[in-house]
Amino acid sequence: MQGKNKSPHNNSPNSLSRREFLKGVGTTAVAAAASQAEQLAAQIKEVSDEKVHGPEAVPVTLHVNGEKRKLVLEPRVTLLEAIREHLNLTGQKEVCDRGTCGACTVMVDGVPQYSCMKLAVDSQNEDITTVEGLSSNGQLNKVQQAFIECDSLMCGYCTPGFVVNLTALLDHNPKPSEADVREACSGNLCRCGTYPRIFDAALKAAGVKTKSRVQILSAKDIINA
Amino acid sequence: MPSWPTEPVYIGKSTQRVDGPEKVTGEARYSSDIHNEGWIYGMILRSQWPNAKIHSIDLSAARNVPGIKAAIKVRDDEFVAHYYGQELAAVAGTSKQACIDALLLIKVDATDIAFVVSEETAINPDSSRVFPDFPNIGEPKVRENGEVDKAFAQSAVTVEGLYATQIQMHHCLETHGNTAHQQGDNLTVWASTQGVFSVRDGLASNLELPQNKVRVISDYMGGGFGSKFGPGVEGVLVSRLTQKTGLPVKLMLPRYDEAKAVGNRPSSFQKIRMGADADGKIIAFELNSFGTSGFTSGPSTAGGGGRAGFPSPYLYNIPNTRVRQAGVAVNTGSSRAFRAPGHPQASFGMESIMDEMAARLNMDPLDFRLKNDTHDSLPAEIRRKEWKIAAESFGWKEKYNPPGSSKGTIKKGIGLAGGTWGGGGRGTQAECQINSDGSVELRCGTQDLGTGTRTLMAIIAAEIFGLKPGQITARLGDTLFPPSGGSGGSTTAASVSPAIYDICHNALKELGEVSGMEDPTGNQWFAACRKIGIQPLIVQGRWQEGLSSRGVGGVQMAEVEVDTETGFIKLNKVLCVQDCGLVVNKLATESQANGGVIMGVGYALYEERIMDSLSGVVLNPNFENYKLPGAQDMPEIEIILMEMPERGVIGIGEPVTIPTAAAIANAVANAIGARVPTLPITPDKVLAALGKVPNKPADSLAGNWGDFDQKLNWSQYSPTQEEGGGH
Amino acid sequence: MKPFQYATASSADGALELCGKNDQFLAGGTDILGEVKEFVSNPGRLVNIKNLPGTREIVETDTGWKLGANVTIAEIAAHEGLRRALPGLTQAAAKVGSPQIRNMGTLAGNLAQHSRCWYYRHRDVQCLKNGGARCYARESENKYHSIFSGNPCISPVVSNMAVILAALEASVNIRRGKQTFDIKMAEFYMVAWFNPYAHNSLKPADLILEVNIPVKTRSCVYLQVSEKSDFDWALVSCAAAGDLDGNALKNVRVALGAISPMVQEVEDANSFLEGKELDRRTASMAANIILEEAEPLEHNGYKVPMARALIRRALFKLAGINLERETS
Repeated sequence: MQGKNKSPHNNSPNSLSRREFLKGVGTTAVAAAASQAEQLAAQIKEVSDEKVHGPEAVPVTLHVNGEKRKLVLEPRVTLLEAIREHLNLTGQKEVCDRGTCGACTVMVDGVPQYSCMKLAVDSQNEDITTVEGLSSNGQLNKVQQAFIECDSLMCGYCTPGFVVNLTALLDHNPKPSEADVREACSGNLCRCGTYPRIFDAALKAAGVKTKSRVQILSAKDIINA
Repeated sequence: MPSWPTEPVYIGKSTQRVDGPEKVTGEARYSSDIHNEGWIYGMILRSQWPNAKIHSIDLSAARNVPGIKAAIKVRDDEFVAHYYGQELAAVAGTSKQACIDALLLIKVDATDIAFVVSEETAINPDSSRVFPDFPNIGEPKVRENGEVDKAFAQSAVTVEGLYATQIQMHHCLETHGNTAHQQGDNLTVWASTQGVFSVRDGLASNLELPQNKVRVISDYMGGGFGSKFGPGVEGVLVSRLTQKTGLPVKLMLPRYDEAKAVGNRPSSFQKIRMGADADGKIIAFELNSFGTSGFTSGPSTAGGGGRAGFPSPYLYNIPNTRVRQAGVAVNTGSSRAFRAPGHPQASFGMESIMDEMAARLNMDPLDFRLKNDTHDSLPAEIRRKEWKIAAESFGWKEKYNPPGSSKGTIKKGIGLAGGTWGGGGRGTQAECQINSDGSVELRCGTQDLGTGTRTLMAIIAAEIFGLKPGQITARLGDTLFPPSGGSGGSTTAASVSPAIYDICHNALKELGEVSGMEDPTGNQWFAACRKIGIQPLIVQGRWQEGLSSRGVGGVQMAEVEVDTETGFIKLNKVLCVQDCGLVVNKLATESQANGGVIMGVGYALYEERIMDSLSGVVLNPNFENYKLPGAQDMPEIEIILMEMPERGVIGIGEPVTIPTAAAIANAVANAIGARVPTLPITPDKVLAALGKVPNKPADSLAGNWGDFDQKLNWSQYSPTQEEGGGH
Repeated sequence: MKPFQYATASSADGALELCGKNDQFLAGGTDILGEVKEFVSNPGRLVNIKNLPGTREIVETDTGWKLGANVTIAEIAAHEGLRRALPGLTQAAAKVGSPQIRNMGTLAGNLAQHSRCWYYRHRDVQCLKNGGARCYARESENKYHSIFSGNPCISPVVSNMAVILAALEASVNIRRGKQTFDIKMAEFYMVAWFNPYAHNSLKPADLILEVNIPVKTRSCVYLQVSEKSDFDWALVSCAAAGDLDGNALKNVRVALGAISPMVQEVEDANSFLEGKELDRRTASMAANIILEEAEPLEHNGYKVPMARALIRRALFKLAGINLERETS
């Protein structure tokens, strides 16, 4: 389903991600394939552009869910606002707007980040994946499917953030322990209190068995008590 | 008398949420996600003063900001803004940035007025007043039973304690707000609400519109917990902005405003005295308490409905009781209903002193409960069984050690607490449309707060029609549908289920007549529906007696580890045993129980709104310092649902959150042999309770209000008959 | 956020040229955007410095480790070589924020982050640090503030990384104008003690290039206590680094965070420990020396016993002993 360093959830062979690009710059060990050399040069030019932009709206190109999207935004527009309000991808939510709740979590080159604490203008040349980019042709991914089966959502407002975050976890760690899942979720808040079932869903999606922590006692049991 | 099927296929089993796919893919459109053609942003300017006379508001510079389409004032006259965060003005513009820039340019001419934000300060006669003509604290409501003073005199053991609970914020993840669109005479509002009809009626009366010109829709909403019944000032303002511009306006509160003006759980300051005989039977009880529900607390409610009272004495059967309670006004935003209003406060105070008494009597707290949880009521009867079931499942007797006897630096402790709640159903109407292709649509003007109401509707219809829940389309959250009440008080399931039962049975009757089939359900369904013809069958119905009931009991037990050198508390386990009548959807019921416990964990250990007495602002209007429980804070949660199908449907959203904090507090006290008397129980308080903080002796932890009842001479007030304790 | 310009620098020279008097650098963004959103900081321009060459590397040198300014906290936490060589560094990195914060936040950003004082960060309060007349925390809600409080602004150092790096005697390599120089980690917050407007010893437009750790491997440990289990600021943090010769302590350094505007290090404590047998009494005496001059405020006295416990535990942890699990 995916290459190792590439975001698995979209398909943008032409955009060399910033992460890979920097890797190329940073370490001589990375031998950029000859065919990529030209591309690399172009990228260097693009990100090295020391031009001053704004404060008025400027052209911004985002790569979201495998699509190139051109927008005109003030530099102070966050990635979250660009995605939600300008691209109308409203899956990711604005909840705290301060990088404390995780509802806005997107994958940036496959890595979960808070889109509320990132400028859109600062997110060009990166592969952005939102929850809308996780299911293809109406086919839910494993995490989404497990969320439904385990009832890992209630009001559902935190759900897209958790789903994106846990999808990224399983991409990097296909057989996580419950401790891994808890740690991965520590930057996402849920107010309805679905955490135990979010843990269950992540483990279920990874094919790890979990035990039910719930019993139902019938009236008979109660009378006999 | 109607009755639920005795051998159901879906009812009582686990059914996946019918709207799960929309929620996991981001397709679900919440009020915050409604982007109608041409929509613009709305934003509110709030008072930055804790108390101020607002002379005038100048909007001219704001109106000149490019992109700004409208700027309005909340009121045109001079007025007093009573708290930090009170609404002053609003703007609408084509971008968020334009609105931000405009708000910064609004000039407010205001004069500071002395303020008070601390309850402990506000009760003093020399405190500055929230309303000049009234003292901040009102006369207490007094309830008295038996001969209290005599009973105390006869008590073998008497204990006294001071307990306080904090202001808890709802902090629904979707903030309060709406998208509103005025088109011609018609106003449509997509509201994040627990009551589409209450929002509609509130808007109609505020805006002087006929109710039939206002439509409120809440397809998906991101949590309410009691704070989202009316339109709120923000609802009125967004409606005025769309009326002014003719454009759809989206106005969702930013998180920091959520901490100011849209509700909270009132605080409580409880002075409790309890007397018991030598056998451990409680014979005397006295509570004097105050708390705040914000600026609308106290003797002048200034149009607000805030109240800081709570049921007392809670749960236990005590023959001689005296309860005096008052509200105190402070310059802060008003409280609103919050998941089981009053009960978590009541449970914390009562269960704390119960454990203090048990320790004095050298009794196991469980035995002490069993001896005194003796009311002649169904919830109490059920709870008496729950104590035993819980004890057995938890291993209470094996794990229990007297307070403070745990060895080592990290000490283990266990605690327990109980709760009760009413709930029950009430008038709800619904309709069912059956089409000739066999498809079914249910319509009900209720809301799904995340509790799974939509799924519940589908389950009941599927059960009665012999179909699958996935074959039913359940629609709700729209004032065009038959009316239902607000989703509060754990009443939604018990209100909606009987109405769906009724419409489905009515529909079967009509379908039988149309199709000529005696039993058109199950295999016969599609054949029967083909006889319907072009005009679908539309059948109405309403809530029926006999399919739901009210009154539940629950108990919880908690196990903690307390690091006595750092004060850090690790919550290992919570067991929740909850009476719940007929379970409609096992999955959703369990999720509710998990959620209630987790909210109780936050109340116990982390959450507290901090008001600053120096500046008068909310110091933590964010999730950085208003701490919500997170993934790593989760204990093992075990749920035991006590199913009694013959009682019919009973909601459990609220009861499950009541005992959690008290059980955890008792577990901490059991572990360390000292009590932290105020919530939340944070490491600093644990260290102080252990006597390890030089400038904070353990007996200072409750605060400086212990003699308030004497200072205010509360003994002069005689009983007024009001609602009493919770059983 | 008020309007601002945005530019991307591709070299240190470029960055300095782009960053004027009212401008600020932008890397991970998790700190500065919070300030800008609250109008606490209103830069005219944000200069993206994430792409400066060579600043994303973790390199083992002949004498120690070189960590580039733009290495993310997640990269430090996941680095196997560092985990083996300097486990306390991994522990400190793993406790920074949340996974998302660690994926975004950079080492330099963690060190240079601004005060988290809830008055300073408040949009409707103008405190001393913000140019106002009074330090509200000193008089009012100071639960999270410094217990070393004899200075004007009592907002404490909150960087985890600074605490462990101080114990490891690391230095920060800084570009100022045309010059490049090193500041010892221990001195990195010194100016914040005297100057209420300062968050650290950096001047405007100072650019952190790298952090150098002068040892290749060392026993070291990082501990913190927070109110929540995770994703919460430390109430007190403590790092210790050093060697054990049998049971004797050698070259031990102890550093604490969240209790002072500077990383709290006391040379007398380090020299007191030199050559001593590790036992509870020694550890407690070191704690006494470190905390001797603490002047707790109304609501933060608890930090004293908490710090004491962490110092003892950190020292024992150097010897592989979990003191809190030992029965006394």
